[in-house]
Amino acid sequence: MNILKPPEAFSANSSSQTDIAAESERWRGNTFAAAAEGKKDRKKFVTDVGIAVEPLYTPADLERNGFDYQRDLGFPGEYPFTRGDRAGMNRTDPFVVSAYSGFGEAQVCNQRFKKLIEIGTEQILVALDLPTQCGYDSDHEMAAAEVGNVGVAIDTLADVEIMFEGIRADSIKRIGTLGNSIGPIVLALWAALGEKQGVAWDRYTVNLQNDPLKEYIARGTQILPPEPAAKLASDAVAWCIEHAPNWSPMTVCVNHINAGGAGSSMGTAIALANVRHYVDILLRQGYSIDQVAPLLHMFPDERHDFFISVANLRALRRIWARMMKEHYGATKAEAMALKTTVYGHGQEALAEPLNNIPRTAFGTLAYVLGGASYVYLAGYDEAVSTPNENSARVALRTLQILANEHGFTDTIDPLGGSYFVETLTAQVEKQILDGLAQIDEIGGALNAISSGFARRAMTEGAVRRQRAIESGDRPWVTVNMWPQKPDVPNTAFRGDAKAEERQLARLAQVKAERDQVRVKAALAEVDRATAENRNVTPAVLEAVRAYATVGEIVEIWRKRFGAFVPSTDF
Amino acid sequence: MSLQGVEQPRRRKIRILIAKVGLDGHDVGARVVARGLLDAGMEVIYTGLRRTTEEVVRAALEEDVDWIGVSILSGSHRVLLPKLRQLLDEAGAQDIRILAGGIIPQEDIPELQAQGVSAVFLSGTPITEIVDYLVKETRHG
Repeated sequence: MNILKPPEAFSANSSSQTDIAAESERWRGNTFAAAAEGKKDRKKFVTDVGIAVEPLYTPADLERNGFDYQRDLGFPGEYPFTRGDRAGMNRTDPFVVSAYSGFGEAQVCNQRFKKLIEIGTEQILVALDLPTQCGYDSDHEMAAAEVGNVGVAIDTLADVEIMFEGIRADSIKRIGTLGNSIGPIVLALWAALGEKQGVAWDRYTVNLQNDPLKEYIARGTQILPPEPAAKLASDAVAWCIEHAPNWSPMTVCVNHINAGGAGSSMGTAIALANVRHYVDILLRQGYSIDQVAPLLHMFPDERHDFFISVANLRALRRIWARMMKEHYGATKAEAMALKTTVYGHGQEALAEPLNNIPRTAFGTLAYVLGGASYVYLAGYDEAVSTPNENSARVALRTLQILANEHGFTDTIDPLGGSYFVETLTAQVEKQILDGLAQIDEIGGALNAISSGFARRAMTEGAVRRQRAIESGDRPWVTVNMWPQKPDVPNTAFRGDAKAEERQLARLAQVKAERDQVRVKAALAEVDRATAENRNVTPAVLEAVRAYATVGEIVEIWRKRFGAFVPSTDF
Repeated sequence: MSLQGVEQPRRRKIRILIAKVGLDGHDVGARVVARGLLDAGMEVIYTGLRRTTEEVVRAALEEDVDWIGVSILSGSHRVLLPKLRQLLDEAGAQDIRILAGGIIPQEDIPELQAQGVSAVFLSGTPITEIVDYLVKETRHG
């Protein structure tokens, strides 16, 4: 026998799929069983989304799921976009290295942003403090003790101007913020920033989260009842269709819903139901799906199981493409190719926080291999504080290493075709579609909120996770294996005590110096646009230009729509 | 109440109000603890998000609870917890005791305890530990 030539029996296509299925059974029942005999399972081999993980996958698993390469995968940048939303993916243009940053007051942020850009950050999303996110000015009683705490305080355009002094809007790939419950206001602030800097809207790209529906389910910055909140968020998208179609004014999030307990598959289903709610509003206003869909991005999330994470991204792109084409009748590729933003986590622990560096790196690697477009990475101390300069640098360098070292980004969809990953992709896709069907059955996104469906999915999942940790079913180093005491350092959230005072002084000064007649007229027009159910964004933009405060604009909406009532269910 | 009209010494169940104060919207931990304490046989009331300290005190008095469990992850604990204690004391509710949970630096814990917070349980604490503490520490008159 010529040993350089493989024997017939080993050459490709020589054995039928059925033989492989039978052989797999045999191996599992004999060879593997013998090796596993008498050994207790090290852990429960079930993923956070409830999919059981087998010891081995073979072509027989693909066959069981009816795997069809052309139909299920195709090619990167082509329908159904499973292998990538762009043709070149990380090979030609590695993912965008991004930072979520902000704390204290605008001046301090400006210094941090310059530092971040200097060391290679390509996109900055500004973290806002809770009063700003909830539509309260720094001098409101609800803002006491919270100004500048978990993000930067923005009361007026003046704060944004200071924050970006010396940083031109077009000097990095994207800028923006979350602004989930104040979408049209943050959109206007970033649009006005370009005007102030003399940078045309088509020269820079603003990215917003602007996804209020998930706030009622998971994140908790909701201001108004869900229905008007979703309409105002859609106004920001509609304004961009007209004035800045190159911007990405809405990123619909799985992140917080999964983190809160729903799991990544149900979290993705809920987020997709939210997408449909926003899209339907815009279609009713007369926009076409080919105009709307390219402006919407998604923010998938899985932080427990590496391979589920890869599968989730691939399944989500496929579902999005089919939903846009088959359900909505999209014809343009940009409408069917989903761009994803991800924020790398990895079951971080409070004990020995430096261990969170490898954890978040592994979590982020899954996103990179899954083909995410815009990638952030949590600071190792993020659970206990806004990232300090050191942890922000480590996060950024980790992204740069992922983008440039080890060959992670050389081949497109490198795990495509893996028996394991393709099987998981099909299983995760089915879970997401089942979840979406359940939400359709109860009447869509708003009912998923009002009926408590989403909240129940979250609490039940969170309780399940807690039990899996307490029982040891889910191993967690330094928590249930080699347990250590949690470590919350005294640096946590210790902002500059004088920052709040300075912010209040600046707000008072801006309010005293602005053109009061112009502010009053602009706010009256915001109220009229709101009452007449027009797109509020043009009026909000004029109010922002006149240095109206975030709180003054939101107060108009609180009066018109009423405030949300927090649920006391658990 | 007994049909014979004889007063029975009756230990009532432990009653606890789980509260979110301030603007912090992260309430998964609060809800998981609420569910765990309920499963352990306690009577649990949840305030929902974004309550003022005044609202929490009012709810605690109305619900006649033994404990208030406050969840804080946004760093406002040093202002909000002492304020909550002060309002309870002013309302004559010295017997209602405060537990805090969430993300709180160790260095702050002695100071919080000196200001009338009975115990602090950081994120990740097993529910059983909180249950054991409450069973041991609850004083029923």
